[in-house]
Amino acid sequence: MNPIAFVKEYWRILLLTLFVTAALVALFAPGGVMDDDTLVEDENETVEDNPTNLEYGLGLDGGTRISAPPTGMTADIDIEPGEEREVETTLYEELGIDSSDGIVRYHEDDNRFTAEVFDGDVTPGEFAAALQEAGVDVDEDDVNDGVTQQTRDEMINTIDLRINEAGLSGGNAYQEATVGDGYYIVTEVPGMSPGELRDLLTERGDVQIVAYHPDENGTQTNETVLEGEEFDNVGSASYDDRRDQNYVPVTVDNTEDEDGNSPASEYQAAMNEYGFTSDGMGQCTIHDRETGEFDFDPDNPQWCLLTVVDDEVVDAHSMSPDLGQSMADGTWENDPTFQMIVPTQQDAHQLSVNLQSGALTAPLDFSSEQTYSLEPALADQFKFYSLIIGVLSVLTVSGMVYLRYSDPRVAAPMVLTALAEVVILLGFAALIRMPLDLSHVAGFIAVVGTGVDDLIIIADEVMDEGDVNSQRVFESRFRKAFWVIGAAAATTIIALSPLAVLSLGDLRGFAIITILGVLIGVLITRPAYGDILQRLLTDK
Amino acid sequence: MGYFDVPEIDYTRYTDRQLAAVPLAVLGVALLVLAGSFLLFGTPVQLGMDFAGGTELTVQTTTPEEDIPEAFDEDPESVQAVASPDAENQYIVQFTSTEQEALSEQAEANLEPDGDASVIQQVSSTSASFGQQTQQTALLGIAVAFLGMSVLAFLLFRTFVPSIAIVASAFSDMVIPLAFMSLAGIPLSLGTVAALLMLIGYSVDSDILLNNHILRRSGDFYESTNRAMQTGVTMTVTSMMAMLVMGTAAWIFGVELLASIGIILFVGLAADLMNTYMLNLSLLRWYKFHGVRS
Repeated sequence: MNPIAFVKEYWRILLLTLFVTAALVALFAPGGVMDDDTLVEDENETVEDNPTNLEYGLGLDGGTRISAPPTGMTADIDIEPGEEREVETTLYEELGIDSSDGIVRYHEDDNRFTAEVFDGDVTPGEFAAALQEAGVDVDEDDVNDGVTQQTRDEMINTIDLRINEAGLSGGNAYQEATVGDGYYIVTEVPGMSPGELRDLLTERGDVQIVAYHPDENGTQTNETVLEGEEFDNVGSASYDDRRDQNYVPVTVDNTEDEDGNSPASEYQAAMNEYGFTSDGMGQCTIHDRETGEFDFDPDNPQWCLLTVVDDEVVDAHSMSPDLGQSMADGTWENDPTFQMIVPTQQDAHQLSVNLQSGALTAPLDFSSEQTYSLEPALADQFKFYSLIIGVLSVLTVSGMVYLRYSDPRVAAPMVLTALAEVVILLGFAALIRMPLDLSHVAGFIAVVGTGVDDLIIIADEVMDEGDVNSQRVFESRFRKAFWVIGAAAATTIIALSPLAVLSLGDLRGFAIITILGVLIGVLITRPAYGDILQRLLTDK
Repeated sequence: MGYFDVPEIDYTRYTDRQLAAVPLAVLGVALLVLAGSFLLFGTPVQLGMDFAGGTELTVQTTTPEEDIPEAFDEDPESVQAVASPDAENQYIVQFTSTEQEALSEQAEANLEPDGDASVIQQVSSTSASFGQQTQQTALLGIAVAFLGMSVLAFLLFRTFVPSIAIVASAFSDMVIPLAFMSLAGIPLSLGTVAALLMLIGYSVDSDILLNNHILRRSGDFYESTNRAMQTGVTMTVTSMMAMLVMGTAAWIFGVELLASIGIILFVGLAADLMNTYMLNLSLLRWYKFHGVRS
């Protein structure tokens, strides 16, 4: 037989062999097929005794997942370019909110403006009234729940940065749409407890330096002099042996704007103006470092720099002589660095994370959250159980098929074909690095189930009415069987496609695996089974 | 031919009405159960944590099972021991409250740790409003899936009676397991929703097979029916067995998602056997002998 005829006759079996081989390579080749990023990841993963290239998700590897919607509301507003600041300021004043709790954005792609408020206590009515005060024509009905896509993107970025800074790999954050137009922000981190992850997400991370100083009349007043985004370069948590201090080294942004001012020069000017670099040098006694308490009703005039995170004072200290001198001279702005001192190492670490990742644009609404957390030990058990459950199911199916046909020539290839389907799917999962969860395992078992169903249809149809003795008879019977299989596959795909698209947590994996399995089955493995059966039955 | 043979049923002995009466009666009872549960409890099926909200902890502790509820300020909904071979002293504790952090703290403070293992092995907590969202999403999913299946059935057969027969038996295939869940107290979870959707796919297989044999093949009605049954019953019974084994094994191991999928599919496929070979068949026979007037 010449090669072309050979390929023509056995192309279905050849295709199956090809796919199974490719799947095995993807599964077991060390380093995986797409090895660009594996090299990086392997450094901390080589210790794992994972014989395959499969990746496991939260449900089979352990970790914590928290899903919660962002707090906030938005309104489309009709304003002229350049009016954004004005509207923002009016919002802050009218609603009595911090500058971090409201924002007006311009959306370039569809040329519109939106106003957002991220404070759970503001009602839509108040928001609309405040916007009207700013001269924007909106009413309560124009206010929508939720935040803009930009805000969500920023949040996801911030969360990603925070996870990475906590030194944990493999974590990620993404958004998921709900029915209606709501969104959830989902954060998954292996190796973190629910409490830790909750802290990481609750922390709004809004850092401010507030100057606490006497005004002209001698009464103490607060003035925000630096905000999180004005820092340029933030170091990691550090410790100063000599002075027994925990601190974070920071650099203030000294890029000049069109007026020749930079945050650094403005900070320096403010320090000089308020007297921090003259009378106030070293004059801060409100912070009792023993008890960690602050006394905001001091007897003497105080010049303190307060480190405020999420409206809570973390530390208060005076201007140090060196720093004060360079500011008084006006040279500090050329090398605008200083150390932010905080009481504990924990505070230093958090401050560093907050400054580096920036503030979470909007807080998360934990009143409608979902938390899932699994210990790695139990996850390992689940992996083992899934394997057992899978093997048991396959054995049951094989047993039933054998009982039914009692002809190994029919039954054996049937079971092998169904297994080939699972191998191809696993290979595919390893190839695209899909993290496997329990729901995927359910999908694999469902694939074996539907797969064998279809193979039974093929076998019965082909062996119908006596022996198959010619190629033509076989082909016509096979085509008939295929109509049923195709129709059944189409219904399964249609029935499960909503699950693959909707955000129903665990079920997406199940649906995706089942749909893929059905496709692989109909296009590759089941036709091949027909060929195998033909070879065996026609005794060619 | 094998040890397991599909019996040939002499359908000529029964009228269409008799054949259809049984599955319709079962469907009626199932609907009554769901309606009754709806009137009594406000939902046709008890809603699980995924939909109603609540907290579930899997704890590893040497504290005896009966003393576990005392560790918490709030009475647990249920405490279930995990019966798998290498997981002694593991319990699944469920609460209606969503105070996940408080419950975790109480567990860690009041339950005796089992060796070095952490007391809390698994936490999952869903707030009521999150559950509400999920519920709507799941309903939408089921509705879209059912609608899609119905449209496809009509496209495939392009005649009213055979298509409606498929849709009717798929509907019944979903309602009967739901009623079973309601009676057996199995709460509706994401896993069971997946199983219900899988049922649409699985159950339509055997219906399509039967319709195909009867409508698109030459030959005697009863002969075609028998051939379709040989294949179809083998198929469904094989899947049922696989699901039974998967469901039981997963239940023993405490892997809930797989357990609920397995058990619901088993019940649904059993209902499918009845619906396909009684309801669908009677509709087809009526159609074949009385329905086609030309």
